[in-house]
Amino acid sequence: MNKQTILVIIASILVSGCSSLGVQPWERDLLAKDEMSLSSSPVDNALDDHIYFSKEASSGGKGFGGGGCGCN
Amino acid sequence: MIVLSVLILHTAYATDNNKLYGQEGLTQMLEQHKGDVIYLDFWASWCGPCRKSFPWMNDMQNRYQQQGFTIISINLDAEHDLAEDFLKEHPALFSVIYDPKGQTAKKYKVKGMPTSYLIGRDGQIKKAHTGFFTKKIPTYENEIKQLLTTRNLSN
Amino acid sequence: MQLTTNKKQNKKTEQKINIKAALTLATTALFGGVAQADTPEEDSWEFDTAFLLYSEVDRVSAGEAILNAKKTFSDEEVLNLKLTIDALTGASANGAVAQPNVQTFTRPSGNGQYDVVAGDTPLDDTFHDTRVQLNAQWTQPIATDYSASAGVHISKEYDYLSIGINGNLGIDFNQKNTTFSIGASYFQDTFTPEGGIPKPFASMLIGDSSSPSWDDDFAQTRIGTEDDKTTTDMLLGFTQVINRRMIIQFNYSYSMVDGYLTDPFKILSIVNNEGLAQDYVYEQRPDQRIKQSAYVQSMYHFDTTVLDISYRYMWDDWDIESHTIDSRFRIPLDGGSYIQPHFRYYQQSAADFYAPYLMQSKFELQRPEFASADYRIGEMTAYTLGLKYGMTVNNGHELSFRLEYYHQAPSDAGFEAPSVLTNEDLYPAIDAIIAQVTYSF
Repeated sequence: MNKQTILVIIASILVSGCSSLGVQPWERDLLAKDEMSLSSSPVDNALDDHIYFSKEASSGGKGFGGGGCGCN
Repeated sequence: MIVLSVLILHTAYATDNNKLYGQEGLTQMLEQHKGDVIYLDFWASWCGPCRKSFPWMNDMQNRYQQQGFTIISINLDAEHDLAEDFLKEHPALFSVIYDPKGQTAKKYKVKGMPTSYLIGRDGQIKKAHTGFFTKKIPTYENEIKQLLTTRNLSN
Repeated sequence: MQLTTNKKQNKKTEQKINIKAALTLATTALFGGVAQADTPEEDSWEFDTAFLLYSEVDRVSAGEAILNAKKTFSDEEVLNLKLTIDALTGASANGAVAQPNVQTFTRPSGNGQYDVVAGDTPLDDTFHDTRVQLNAQWTQPIATDYSASAGVHISKEYDYLSIGINGNLGIDFNQKNTTFSIGASYFQDTFTPEGGIPKPFASMLIGDSSSPSWDDDFAQTRIGTEDDKTTTDMLLGFTQVINRRMIIQFNYSYSMVDGYLTDPFKILSIVNNEGLAQDYVYEQRPDQRIKQSAYVQSMYHFDTTVLDISYRYMWDDWDIESHTIDSRFRIPLDGGSYIQPHFRYYQQSAADFYAPYLMQSKFELQRPEFASADYRIGEMTAYTLGLKYGMTVNNGHELSFRLEYYHQAPSDAGFEAPSVLTNEDLYPAIDAIIAQVTYSF
């Protein structure tokens, strides 16, 4: 239960502290670039995930969504 | 007609760099087009939906220009070169004002990219749109047509 | 490069205009009609094709090819289709320990034996398999600031079938500076291994596969022909734009696997007090595994370079804990090309039922509930060093090459080795090369 508590604490800090962070909608030029995408090479990631899933005891954990140009 | 095309071709070779910038540029443009229905569009080269909106904006400018419709666009690229490259690939048949620091964006409370405001002949903002959606094109066009039918009562 | 289309054309607003635009307008004026506007960007397909070669020194080699097709529709709806084909060949450790003498083992199918020379880590080379996988994923905005995605997966190889579905929802806040995601997936796998499912801790039958009593004797060591498992995953994600140059992501994931988790091809050596193997028995793992992970990733855009660094902490109810640090640094070069060095560090602790071998005295006194000598759930450290080079070709297409070195170093999780085994390498390191070519268009 200890690890879960830590996670909940981190999550609450993030949620409360993050309303002041960020950029204006027109300041997302760098964030809009492909190389700033959180999953910039999905093919590489898929191939690597397969290798490490087969050779190690851990897998996954990475997510989806967020960042980018923020358009529409 | 021939004079017109000659005139256009002549100015095509002009090398004057008379670009408009920031709030100053916008105020100048708005003054120049007082009495028109104005579509004020905030865009940047890195914005996908902005790319999609350009051909439509060119179309609208062509179609309704005679009725007193003007598109004024504001480019918010921090890097000017990127805006120039974009315009080479997607030419604009409407004016572009450069605002790399985003002064006008802040003033007009831009909440997303792209953002457009429809300004009536009386100079008041009538409609605001965040984002550009192909499905909403008929709506966007209807809004323009509606505002064009009104006449500026102060004339 | 813009043309002011105002009625007062004569006014010399000397502005540089674009020839194409000028001619378009001239045509309009001349013919009195409306110029044909460019049609909005047509729905476009983007393709990625990649081929990867993974090769361990003296062990497993695998080739994998991916074809990914992505279609973006008019208002941010995306269809993603992916075809993956991979082929595996070579030899894998079977779980038994090296001995100072020749060892003989029976193949998983029961048809035939193979020998391992003295001093060698026993490897089973019967593994060659081809797998085909299809994925389809649909993503679309469902409301302002809400995006949803759903997908299916199917994967088939000679002895394995996996089908799965997934779904996720993304919600934007703070003018899209913050994004919450929640996702879940469910997979159903069926395993029909060659030779069937072995009886846990049954002795490996070693003899003459062609003898008349072989088939019956072999069947005695089996409890079925197939088994299955289900995997349920849940992921909570939080992405935050820090400033114009930086974005971070924090994820928590929970995974529950239920069903047949044992590796039917792996055995353990039963050794006497001197370390000499007396018997080989089939392994047994629990029928459930709950894994959790906490993951944080940060991307930072310097003047021209981009740094991507992430850390993942994983823990499960098999007592395995792991740490993964992964980093990539993208350096753009002239002409739209780039190089990207890659460094990954991985460390895991052993599962509580992991044992490199079992002592005969203890085994005969009380059989353990679970045991496995698979080094992949043992204690180990691994690192990857790689370099990727990408270039732009043919008008916007991308070609890239990736070369990596992967080193795995299993280690002793605290098992005191009996005399004979102290002279053997119980934790051999594994070196592998990864080479990949990708073409995107």
